[in-house]
Amino acid sequence: MNVFLAVLWKDLVTEWRGRDRSVAMLVFCLLVVVVFHFALPGGATRETQELAPGLLWVAYVFAAVLGLNRAFSVELENDALTGLALVPRDRGWVFLGKAGASFVILGIVQAITALVFGLVFEIGSLGDVLPLCGIVALGSIGLCSVGTLLGAVAVRTRFREIMLPLLLLPLLMPILSGSVRATTELILNGQVPFEPVQLLIVADAVYLIASFVGFDYVLDE
Amino acid sequence: MLALAGMSESVSEMAPDPGADGQRVGRMAAWRRGVGLFTGASLLLYAVAVITAPIDSVQGVIQKILYLHPPLAYGAYLGFIITAIGGALYLWRHREVYDHLAVAGAEVGVVFCTLMMITGPIWAKGTWGHWWSWDPRLTLTLLLWFVYLSYLLLRSFTEGGERTARFAAVYGVLGTLLIPLNYFVIDLFQGRAMHPENLSSGSLGAGMGLPFLAGNITFFAAFVYCVLLRWEVEIGRARWAEREAEGAIS
Repeated sequence: MNVFLAVLWKDLVTEWRGRDRSVAMLVFCLLVVVVFHFALPGGATRETQELAPGLLWVAYVFAAVLGLNRAFSVELENDALTGLALVPRDRGWVFLGKAGASFVILGIVQAITALVFGLVFEIGSLGDVLPLCGIVALGSIGLCSVGTLLGAVAVRTRFREIMLPLLLLPLLMPILSGSVRATTELILNGQVPFEPVQLLIVADAVYLIASFVGFDYVLDE
Repeated sequence: MLALAGMSESVSEMAPDPGADGQRVGRMAAWRRGVGLFTGASLLLYAVAVITAPIDSVQGVIQKILYLHPPLAYGAYLGFIITAIGGALYLWRHREVYDHLAVAGAEVGVVFCTLMMITGPIWAKGTWGHWWSWDPRLTLTLLLWFVYLSYLLLRSFTEGGERTARFAAVYGVLGTLLIPLNYFVIDLFQGRAMHPENLSSGSLGAGMGLPFLAGNITFFAAFVYCVLLRWEVEIGRARWAEREAEGAIS
């Protein structure tokens, strides 16, 4: 538990001092919103409302890939990754610390992006904020857990920037379909059905446990 | 599968004794040649059965793709399961031979899956009028194909034999978790599927059962042959690399 808190604190403090990861992710997300403005039919039409959740989640996933790549590439400096591997506890706690920090940083980026997205495309209302936070949090748990595991794998490969999305995107299908479905229902009908939430909970549990156990095998000296 | 498991045990035990090791690989090669002969003979029977099978009155000659497509699908799934089993055994026992089995399963599985993804759309265009449909089963198979292509890319982009094996094993096992999760997705969201359900007894027309059975037997034998061959090659390659390293040291 101490290892988890230490790694989480280290990553958050490092990010607070540099802010390079969160700023890059945020600017990327905002640029994606601008690109969507050109891709979508103008105005707050029904089509825009139907397409918006999918597009929002595409922006989230690509921003997460950027952040997760950076989460481990910084550990290569001064061979800090070896230090993490030598932690005298189960490496799963290191995983939880890294995933937790990514979850917090991604959450901040997601909140600002959703706000801008909602204002620019005139989507959603104040009443949607709390359920949307729940959906985004559920989606991000799965995204950050499997993304952290695969980030640790990708960082030790050649072409690591391209390797992470190649490894991660095919595995995100359950997370993405659940999140997009729940967000769409929330925006169009103002309520969240149980089925996609159930799927997200199952997928989160599977990926969290598999990544906690698997991290021991991917972090090496 | 039992034969494969037995062989993996026998091959894995030979590492400390190179002579016995060679003997066991030789035994494995003999098995493979036997399976190869059976595949050749079965292929002849299969070709005759497909040519002489009646032409479907609704779908026409394109229906004959179904003597090819499902057996390829079984091979693809079997390959991916072998990859996951090989990977899990490698993580558990740390024996190279299991990693070699996982590579063999993934490569042969990807080949079978690619052929299945080619034959399926040809049949679909003739029958449904579309090359592709985002049908649950098709989507799941496409995702699995991407997972195992990424698996092979991961292997080629990672340096160090032990690290490559470890990373690939983790990813191979993770990829298999996608199968039940995606079935969950499919059940929840996609409703009725376009893809035909599994064939039940008596669902094939008169004279169509034999070529279908022959296809399944032939492609299963071909699959086993390819996996054994690829496994053998991988073991040989590892041994050659070891000898090279020993030569460089001495």
